[in-house]
Amino acid sequence: MKNYFFKYTFLKLIIALLFLGVRTVAQEFVANNYKMDFSLKTAKNYDNSRLLEVSFIAKNKKNRRDKIPIYDAEIKFYNVLDNTKTLLGQSKTSQEGTAAITLPENQDYLVDKEGNINLIARFEGSESLDEEETEITVKNLHLALKLVEIDSVKTIQVNAFTIDSSGVKIKVTETDIVVSMEAMFSKMPLAEGAIEDGEFEFKFMDDIPGDVNGDITVYAIIEDHDEFGDVIQKQTINWGASNEHTEIEKYALWASLAPIWMYVVLTIMLVGVWANYAYTILNLYIIKKEGSSLEI
Amino acid sequence: MNVINRKRELVNEFSPMLEKAGSAFKIWTGFLIVIIVIGLYALVLQFQKGHEITGMRDNVVWGIYIINFIFFVGLSYSGAFIAGILHFFKTPWKNSVLRIVEIITVLSLIVGPIFILLCIGKLDRLHYLFLYPRIQSPITWDIIVIITDLIGCFIYLLLTFVPDFAILRDSEDLRIANWRKKLYKFLALGYRDTKDQRKRLKKITRTMSAMIIAMAIVAYTVLAWIFSLTVQPGWNSSIFATYFIIAGLYSGVGVIIISMYVIRRVYKLEKYIRKVHFIGAGIILLVLSLLFGYFTFSEYFPRWFSHKIYDVSLLKDLFSRYFWEFVLANYLGVLIPIAILSVKKFRKIKWITFAAVIAVLGLWLNRYLIVVPTLENPFVPIQDTRPEFIHYSSTWIEWSLSFAGIAAFFLLFTLLLKFVPIIPIQGIIDTERKQEKNDKKKFKFLAE
Repeated sequence: MKNYFFKYTFLKLIIALLFLGVRTVAQEFVANNYKMDFSLKTAKNYDNSRLLEVSFIAKNKKNRRDKIPIYDAEIKFYNVLDNTKTLLGQSKTSQEGTAAITLPENQDYLVDKEGNINLIARFEGSESLDEEETEITVKNLHLALKLVEIDSVKTIQVNAFTIDSSGVKIKVTETDIVVSMEAMFSKMPLAEGAIEDGEFEFKFMDDIPGDVNGDITVYAIIEDHDEFGDVIQKQTINWGASNEHTEIEKYALWASLAPIWMYVVLTIMLVGVWANYAYTILNLYIIKKEGSSLEI
Repeated sequence: MNVINRKRELVNEFSPMLEKAGSAFKIWTGFLIVIIVIGLYALVLQFQKGHEITGMRDNVVWGIYIINFIFFVGLSYSGAFIAGILHFFKTPWKNSVLRIVEIITVLSLIVGPIFILLCIGKLDRLHYLFLYPRIQSPITWDIIVIITDLIGCFIYLLLTFVPDFAILRDSEDLRIANWRKKLYKFLALGYRDTKDQRKRLKKITRTMSAMIIAMAIVAYTVLAWIFSLTVQPGWNSSIFATYFIIAGLYSGVGVIIISMYVIRRVYKLEKYIRKVHFIGAGIILLVLSLLFGYFTFSEYFPRWFSHKIYDVSLLKDLFSRYFWEFVLANYLGVLIPIAILSVKKFRKIKWITFAAVIAVLGLWLNRYLIVVPTLENPFVPIQDTRPEFIHYSSTWIEWSLSFAGIAAFFLLFTLLLKFVPIIPIQGIIDTERKQEKNDKKKFKFLAE
């Protein structure tokens, strides 16, 4: 009896432990142990809209691998020039700790004489978290991607310029750019180089098949630039090699005339077999002739 | 050994088979003739009314006629192959089965192609095949090969029959009609069993045996290509030719075993067709059943694995509407012979014959499953076809013509057995002559 009692007690204990949630014993979040990483970046999309994105992550001071995204924090985005501050929009951080807004192509920005746009992201703070603010300055880069045939040579041209406060176009120089195309899993680089005197140009390869329709989507990307942030431009064109009309091969033996080899092979085979028949019949004739002579 | 006396003895031994036409023989031939007459009546109806009275329609343009064609032609090729092997490699026990195999070879090659003619809707255009042949077409290859093979098999059969025709021609005691004696004389081709004649005949028979092995392989390959060179699901397969050859050999050996059993029982030939022959044939059947099973698996497994839309639809049909046929053909038709023949205890004449019957029936069904479900699931679906035209269901016309073909095969077989001894007399003499020679050598060795 005693044994049974202990046995069941042990089982009950195990079941009770199973019902206890893991979180009940988890370490609580203590803000003091963490350093806040609050960063803002901007990307100009191919439709000329602008993305402003904040990353809000708490990083453990002692353990680098311990990173906790701050969730549901309200972030406000501003455009600032001197004493003027314009609210561009606000967004709450996701479970990944990011908050983003997209500003349309026709958004009016406050721009200084050099054409700089000052952008600020701000978190007002909460009971457990202090306020955070970060600022970046970018220039509105105008990136144009052209896919043209010059003397039957498929050419990719990229033009890049900024416009200052007086409306003068200023060509961009010494800016790294990657031109790539859309592939199955990621973007496949076609060329890497630097924009000089506002231009970057190269010849497109002729042997790239493209998608099922022969379409190729080309991206021109300036990434993580100090002045311009991320700038992306894309174009789609029917340059795929598979789209070229190739002659459809018919079934080989559906031609109106049989190939010569077929006549040769069949003739050799048939002549071989029928010659053997003829040889056999000739021998039978000899046998018969010999038999006839014996009868006589 | 006095050869002339021995020949006379053997002719006397086999003379009841050649002379007498007992009541059982008459009833049997009468029964076969009735079946053939019913078939001829069905044939007349088919000519008058067309294919409308068969089950063949827009989708399934080939029914059981083509299945019988493949079956009989396969039987013939496998017979030719086995006869060639037995002769070429001078197999010790060839004498007991060789003639059965040779007769099966030629008769099935006569009966088989008749079925293909029954499939043709416009027989009045048949001669166009010869007038306007397209050498690129597998059908043309098949016509060339079948004609070549048929002539080759006839020549080969004649070569093996010549010595026995000569013996029968010279047998004065044989009580047969005068026309038969004249026919024996004509077919014996003046053969007198001289040393030169014997040597010459052996040489050309050996060459022809090698030739018909090659012809059998080529001919059955071409027959398989008629199917596999199309893009139809279930047919477009690179292993189809090999599969057909193995299947043909499997059914061929099965029919040979059944024939051996029946002939042994009817003509009381226990002395010549012995248990050892059945065991030998049974082991060959076992090997072929394993090979056939392997090829069947290799044929269907990639279709299932590849998951092509038309193959999937075909396999769905095979495992639903044709489930029992599929099980009988490809499971029981393979596993039962394997189960029987691989156990030594079951290697008895009746069990081996039973295994052969299962194998032959399974093979016929296997061919049905190759032809009909594929035509019901074509690669290019027929537009606006009537739903009742999609599925095939054979009619009594087709069955009576099929049975008439089988009856014609049996009738010709029975009549041929009245015409030539089922065990080659010359073969028995050659074996005894060889034995005597070996014995003499042995005695000489011992004396020395």
